[in-house]
Amino acid sequence: MLGGRLGTGLHVATGAQPRGGGEPVRRMTEEAAVFCRPEGDLRVDDVTPEDTLVAQGAPVARLREHPDIALVAPMAGRVARVVLRPGRRLAEIVLFREAGGDRHRHDVGGSAATEAGVRRLMQSAGLWPRLQRRPFGRLPPSDERPAAIVAMAADTRPMAPDPRMALRGREEDLARGLSALAGLTDGPVLLCQQAGPSLVENGLADGRVMIVTTGPRHPQGLAGLRIHDLCPAGIDAPVWEVHAEDAADLGALLVTGLLPETRLVSVAGAAMNETLLLRCQPGADMRGLSHGHVRPGPHVLMAGSPLDGREARWLGPRERQVTVNPQARAASRHWFQSALTRSSTQVPVIPTAALEQSVGGAFPAAAMIRALASGDDETAMKLGVLSLLEDDLALTDYVIGGAPRLSTLLRRMLDRIETEYAA
Amino acid sequence: MMRGLWDRETVALFLLLALMPLALTWLWFGGTQAALQLVLALVVSGLWHMIFMLARAQPPSFAGAITALAVAMLAPEDLGLIRLILGISFGTVMGELVFGGWGRNVVNPATVTLAFLGFGFPTAPWPDFVLPVAWGAIPAAAIGAVTGVMSARLLTGAGLVTLLAMALGADLDRVLPAAGIVLVLLVADPVASASTALGRWLNGALYAALVVMFTLEWQGAAPLQAAVSAALLASLAAPVLDEAAIALWLARRKGRHGRT
Repeated sequence: MLGGRLGTGLHVATGAQPRGGGEPVRRMTEEAAVFCRPEGDLRVDDVTPEDTLVAQGAPVARLREHPDIALVAPMAGRVARVVLRPGRRLAEIVLFREAGGDRHRHDVGGSAATEAGVRRLMQSAGLWPRLQRRPFGRLPPSDERPAAIVAMAADTRPMAPDPRMALRGREEDLARGLSALAGLTDGPVLLCQQAGPSLVENGLADGRVMIVTTGPRHPQGLAGLRIHDLCPAGIDAPVWEVHAEDAADLGALLVTGLLPETRLVSVAGAAMNETLLLRCQPGADMRGLSHGHVRPGPHVLMAGSPLDGREARWLGPRERQVTVNPQARAASRHWFQSALTRSSTQVPVIPTAALEQSVGGAFPAAAMIRALASGDDETAMKLGVLSLLEDDLALTDYVIGGAPRLSTLLRRMLDRIETEYAA
Repeated sequence: MMRGLWDRETVALFLLLALMPLALTWLWFGGTQAALQLVLALVVSGLWHMIFMLARAQPPSFAGAITALAVAMLAPEDLGLIRLILGISFGTVMGELVFGGWGRNVVNPATVTLAFLGFGFPTAPWPDFVLPVAWGAIPAAAIGAVTGVMSARLLTGAGLVTLLAMALGADLDRVLPAAGIVLVLLVADPVASASTALGRWLNGALYAALVVMFTLEWQGAAPLQAAVSAALLASLAAPVLDEAAIALWLARRKGRHGRT
């Protein structure tokens, strides 16, 4: 339908384009961390003690529930600080970089051939945390077979680095990684890329690796909306999501036994003098990444895009974008203005064309918002809420001005569904 | 966090902006009488919004001005002050504010007011519009559709059915101006109309079909009366149309994926 063609996606203007053709520069920060967000719940064992020298890719901790899954050092360095919350829940393990440090070589030993081998290698080499499982957006259990795996080689979030650039010259690694991932599922492995030459040959692994072309506008390149469209996640049908660069890392790891050191990251935002494209380690210190390019004055560092970013110090295992924004001063409001604009209940959302486009026409937006706001889990599940995570509604939150915050409502609903249905 | 544009009040302001061509031509041709009626409607509607703000912490909305404009333009004539105030109060309170304000209402409050006045005082004559005012509905629809606050699907759906009826030989010349004005003022309200893509097509088509039916079959009805009645029924049917559209979407999805 014509409406489907016209009615999807928005352009969000958020800052300067990268200068000089945007060739990425390699910049390793002096500090990096393996960490867990406060709302996450990661119990760890075998934590490397402070002041130990570790090689890049060497395990620094293991998960208590799944001892096969290791968290690895993002760079060669010295363990500077280990912070654990009560119950051995991981807060952060901070490393200081040591120049000329080693790289840990993982035992590959023909593991590419078998499913168990690929699983073991991904878990021991620290690639497992780069998977995201839908529904609920957590780490997949170590022995789960998903209904499908979606590899994202498209990212339409404002100022996101181009995955095509990240994958330049790594097509073989990517193909090998995707073929290996195909062994972990009975369903398809879908590579979402934007229009242009195919990144890998269509139909690898007996035709189970398939290329899907996505549109160029936000939110067409969001994993959640693609999964919602192509292979909806359900409680009994989990879908894994992985960035194509991480799939290529798996491909490289399978051949060399070395975990690739860097990833492509963009540092952008209204408080930056220029947009940077960097190759840095996972878990990099965002202060180090933006240092020297920030405009004077107070600013906030966010991991993620201007739409879905959250304030943080370290870049997460799946994040490839740093947003630096000027710090907004809390304006004091007159009581009469508050009376005019703030209500005891939340202001309703008016279904306009902007709302429809902010979800890319993927589902009936007004009905979904009504279900989210009223806590109607069953209707929301019918409409496909299990394929979505907070990031997928970030654009909608932006469009409707952030009241009510749909991503908060969505997280609350997903948590509720998880305890009620999936226990 | 960055904030976008399309919160409730922005939508209301864009709707007001879209209706400006219509409102200004109407004021131009209506003179003092029209202006006074508009001021009255604005004052009464604004008063109720203030009362609900103070009593229930319900923020007032610019949508109250849209309601006032629609009522001032479309209300039956020669009602007298008391009845008009009664009608506007009933529509604003029972049609919108008791549900929690604009955005939570089921039917457009102006539609409720007009239905109340029309059925309550059936002897009062319905106003007629000079042709230039009716032409004002076209830029209004265009601005509304381009800014996205009115559904282009709904407007097109209504237009297509009207064209089809005229092609089949229905004589609609008499009712078209009133039907067009009611379409942009009452039917295209994003809250009271359907919210799914298919639902909006059906919503617009249903409104036009009802207008055609009333014109041909309802003896002695004023054009505006037929249009307002059609708007009331179409907006009451909007949730059903949405339900149907979603059920169809779910069935298609189930066929494709084997699950929803």
